[in-house]
Order: sequence, then structure tokens, then C-alpha cells
Amino acid sequence: MKIFKSIKWRLQIWYGLILLGVLVALEITAYQLERNELFDRVDSELQRRFSPIADALRPHHPGFGHPPFDHPPQDQMPGDFPPPNDSPPGEFHLPPQAAALFSSDDPKKFYFRIFRDGNDIASSTNAPSPPTRTTIITEPGHLNRPPNLGPTTQTLEPPRRETTHILPSGEIIIIGCSITSEMDQLKTTTMVLTVAGVIILFFGLAGGWWISSRAIRPVENISATAVKISAGDLSQRINTAETESELGQLAAVLNSTFTRLEAAFAQQKQFASDAAHELRTPVSVILTQTQTALNRERNAGEYKQTVEACQRAAQRMRRLITALLELARLDAGQEQMKRLRFDFSKTVGDCVELIRPLADDRGVKVSTELSQIEIEGDSERLGLVVTNLLNNAVQYNHDGGEVKVRTKLENGMAVLAVSDTGQGIPAEDLPRVFERFYRADKSRSSGNAGLGLAISKALVAAHGGSIDVVSEENVGTTFTVRLPATA
Amino acid sequence: MRILIVEDEPDLLSSLAQALREEGYAVDTANDGEDGFYKAENYEYDAVVLDVMLPKMDGWEVLVRLRKIKKTPVLMLTARDQSRDRVRGLDGGADDYVVKPFDLPEVFARLRALIRRSANKTSNVIEIGDVKIDTAARNVSRAGKLMDLTPREYALVQFLALHRGEVVTRTQLYEHLFDENDDTFSNLLDVHVSNVRKKLGTDFIATRRGHGYCIE
Repeated sequence: MKIFKSIKWRLQIWYGLILLGVLVALEITAYQLERNELFDRVDSELQRRFSPIADALRPHHPGFGHPPFDHPPQDQMPGDFPPPNDSPPGEFHLPPQAAALFSSDDPKKFYFRIFRDGNDIASSTNAPSPPTRTTIITEPGHLNRPPNLGPTTQTLEPPRRETTHILPSGEIIIIGCSITSEMDQLKTTTMVLTVAGVIILFFGLAGGWWISSRAIRPVENISATAVKISAGDLSQRINTAETESELGQLAAVLNSTFTRLEAAFAQQKQFASDAAHELRTPVSVILTQTQTALNRERNAGEYKQTVEACQRAAQRMRRLITALLELARLDAGQEQMKRLRFDFSKTVGDCVELIRPLADDRGVKVSTELSQIEIEGDSERLGLVVTNLLNNAVQYNHDGGEVKVRTKLENGMAVLAVSDTGQGIPAEDLPRVFERFYRADKSRSSGNAGLGLAISKALVAAHGGSIDVVSEENVGTTFTVRLPATA
Repeated sequence: MRILIVEDEPDLLSSLAQALREEGYAVDTANDGEDGFYKAENYEYDAVVLDVMLPKMDGWEVLVRLRKIKKTPVLMLTARDQSRDRVRGLDGGADDYVVKPFDLPEVFARLRALIRRSANKTSNVIEIGDVKIDTAARNVSRAGKLMDLTPREYALVQFLALHRGEVVTRTQLYEHLFDENDDTFSNLLDVHVSNVRKKLGTDFIATRRGHGYCIE
């Protein structure tokens, strides 16, 4: 059931059960105390009525050399009692003072009954008609018990309290009274206790609910935010202002996770959008070229032009896709870099020779200053980085400009610096040149997607190195690559 | 109708220009923002097709500068199809936009709509007496019979029809019917007017001596 999976409900149920248990125990105790007190009072009343009866029996009984009770009532005269010895039950008489104690007007309806040798020898007018305890009390076993047996008291139905005294002489005196009023009082007490208990339980549960709600609120807060985030709104954050507890720390950790998630998502989205954007232009070329060509009959030369334009567009898309795949592999960290020792300067020299025809076309002079540095890594991939830097240096140079390529060992790092005398990169673009698809010149006529430097950076990073750039507009740009050299 | 295309991708520019010329437009081209703005500023175009990502001056900048001096309808070509880019273009004064990669028929239709709107026409069909000009199908019929007009002749008829009741000068006609590669010092225009009169009736185009031509 869902309710038992909710922490709040479980807390509430446990709390409610404990509260109920405590209340029930307390109320039972209170009830017992009240009951005991009431019955004690009744019992002492009953006890008070025993002595006059016992006294009325004693003087006429033979073999009674000493008084059975410590406190014979002071207000009774022995001479007032009629001689009941061996007389029938009707002949036993209580003195009037004692008889007053068993008046029918008394709301408690005190009564007595006296048995001798199993015979009901006397009883008060209030005594309940069936001689209830005769059978038990007149059993021989009872009678043979030691005479100093104390009185036994019990509660009977209809509500009354009875004390049974067995005198040493064999008489059994039962003194009782109605306890209807006591029972009524106990009923009232029970009711009051129940109502009070229910009220306390109610307020207790309400308070418990409030406390558990407050305790759980940060969790609900976190969960509500998480739901919104999972629904796609990554800008949501947990309000940590009111969660200062242990949950506050959790919220802070979650918030920073959400922030990084959002950034990663935004980056991913931007990357996908940029990639799609880069594909739009070549696809546009192919579409317009083919739609135009197919619009009417063309001669072979026109068709050839169309096919050539489509080929250029397709090659551009291929370059883009290759670059994207390279980046994706680098991102996923799947790319296995070779770890071979090689002379970095030799790789740089080879790349310079590769780029020289292009530089010559633009009248750009390439000068080198190389010193042998052994590094460990993938010479082919690092060659790609060098070629890319050289290509940029030539492409963004002025006609007849200069490109300087230097390698040196510096603090255990192999350092490659490629400087050009080109147009430079505006200061506001400088921090972004390594971003994917970023191009300072905003046009795409060069056919470059703006991924070259991003890939270079990722490749250098995969070798544990770094790449940075310094540029001054209309003076030139220097890219510096640092790679760990082998000792 | 004369159109300027500003686009830096040469293969896209050439095929667009060719396709529009085959549609009967006079087409000028520019491959960067500065050149595009210079031409848009100095010639009377019926519409400008403007790419957003351009070297030297981007499409937004060309648009902003052009809007300060001219009302020429502008169709933006954008590679970004996010609504904020479209909003930016439309708010910046573009009349319409097409997202790359586009279909040529759509570009043609949007250009026709732009030109029609700038001439305050809502329908593709212009009727003048018994002559009916369908600007979507680019044909002219007279008394229900389809007339065979060359693209240049059709352009002449359409331009005069869109400016019905106005006197159109020879300079205006040269500006709108011939592109930068045509020799504007020839008497080609007179030849076209004479041919149209032969096909649609001598009274169809009236000559205002010393001013120009007019369709009543």
C-alpha cells in the first residue's frame, strides 16, 4: 500500500501507536487508582459495620474467653443484647444503634447475613434474597480452616461489595452493600478519561502530523523540484533557504549536480544545433543545384557543373562528419592514444613541409627553429594538431606574411609555438576560439566548420598537455602547445 | 523584376541566381555583406535575398543599415531555425525568411508574395481589360487565350501592371528588368515594348512622350 511507503505516514502511524499505548496505560492506571480508592472507602465502611455484629454475637457464645477484636465499639453496652445463644435465627437481634447502620433508607443499602453451621441464622432486610455464598461458605473445608483467617472481600453482581468474616466460633458473617453509585462514578470516570484520551490523542496526532510535515517538507521540496527537472525543466533549483538541516546539505549537493547537468545539456544541445547548422549549408547547395538543374533540359557542361558543386558540398559534409566523429570519440574517451616515444620536432618539421606548398601559394614565408625533444604519444594525432595550427597560421595570414615555428624544452615540457603575422583575433573572440563551431569571422566561405581548434585542444588534452593562444589584432597570433617531455 | 542575392557560399549563390534568372528575374549577386549593402543601397531592387552569416558585414547589419534608407522587401536566408532568430529577423525589418536547407519552389513563392505585397496587391491575378496576368504561373492570357511572351516581355508587362496608372520611366524599367550584366545603353526596351503591343494590343501600353510608359 502506498500509505505504508510514505515516510510521513509511517512516522505518523508509529507515533500514533506509541501515543495510544502510553495513553491507554496511563488511563488504566488512573482508573485502577480511582477504583481502589472508592472500594477502600466502601471496604472501611463495611469493616466499621462488622464489629457491632460480632459483638452482638460474642457474649452469648460459650468458649469465647477473649475478645476477637482489638477495638470493640465503645458505644455499645453488652447488656443491651438479647440472649441469642442456641436460639433460632429469628431470635438474633442487633442493638438499635447497630441496626441503624443497616437502615433501608441508606442509599448504599448495607446488609448483613449470618451463618452458623451452614444455616442462615440472621440477615438484614436489605440482604439480597438468594443467600449467595451459602454453598461455598458452609463447605466443611471452609469451616475447618484456622479461625484467624482474615476477611475476604469481593465484588459481585448486581453491583455490590461483600466482606466475608469467619469467626473462630464458626459463625460466618457476610456484610455487604450496593456499590451502584461507585460504579456510576467509575463509569463517569471512564467516560471522562476516554474523552480526555481521545482529545489528547487527536491533538497529539495533529501535532505529530505538523512536526512530521515540517520535517518532511524539505524532502517534498526536493522531490517536487526533481520531478520538474525530470519533466525537462533543468533550470529548476531546490530552495535551500529553509533546509538548513542534514537535508540542506543534500539539497546543496543536488543543486550543484543539477547545475552541472544543465550546463552539460545546454552544451550538448548547442553542439547538436551547431552540427545541424553546419550541415544546412551544404545540403542547401545540393538541393538548389539539383532542383535548378532538373528544372529543364541542360547540356552536358551544365550538368557537369551541377555534379561538381554537389561533390564539393558532399566533401564538405564528409569533413564535418569526420570532425564530429573525432570529437565524439575524444569526448567518450574511447580513443586509444598510442604511447610511443618519438621526436616531436621531427613531426613538426614534417608538417611544415606538408604545408609549405599552400604557404608558397599565398607568398607566406615559413621559418623554423626546432630542437630535438622526445615525447611519448601518438605522433599521427599530434601531427594533426600541428598541421591544423600551421594551416590556420597560413590561411589567416596576410599575403606575403610570415609564420614562425619553434620547438624547445622548457621545465620538462615540450613547447611548440606557431606565430603568424596575420590579422589577429579580436580580444572578445580570444577566449572562445577553442569552442566548438566558433569562428571569429562568422562566414563559412572557408569551408571550415570551426572544429579544428576544438579537436586540437581535445587531442593535446588527451596527451596530458595544454594549448593556449595570444593574439594582437593586425599584428599576429601565437598558438602555444605544451606536452610532457620524456626524461 | 530585379533581385539582389547576397550569399557567401559560391555554389549556392550561383545556383540560386541561375534558378531565379530562369524564372524571369533580373538577378544581381553579392558574396559579402559590404558588397551586398552597397548594391542594395545604390540600385532599385524589387526584392533582396539576404543570407545571415556573411563575411565583412553580417546579414543583420546589412538589414539594419538598409532599413534606414530603403523599404526594399528583404527575404532572409537563415541556417538557424530557432524562433528567436526568426523574431530577430522579422523585428529587424526582414519581410520574410526561409530556413536552410530550403526548396526552390518555396523561395520562388515567397519572393512572388513579397513583390506582390510591396505593390499592395493581394491576388496573384491582375486583370486589365481582357488581358489577364497570372503572377504565380507567370503567364499572360488575352480573351482567355494564353499569349506566348518571352520572360523579358512578361517581366515588362508585370512591372507595368503592378504599377498600373503610374507613369514608369525608362530608367525605372531598365533598373528593374535588366541586371548588372546587361547592356543598358541598348534600345532593347523599345523592342520589348513593341513586341508586347503586337501581342496584347497597341493600346495596352501607352507612351508618355518624354516621361515613359504606362498601363491605364
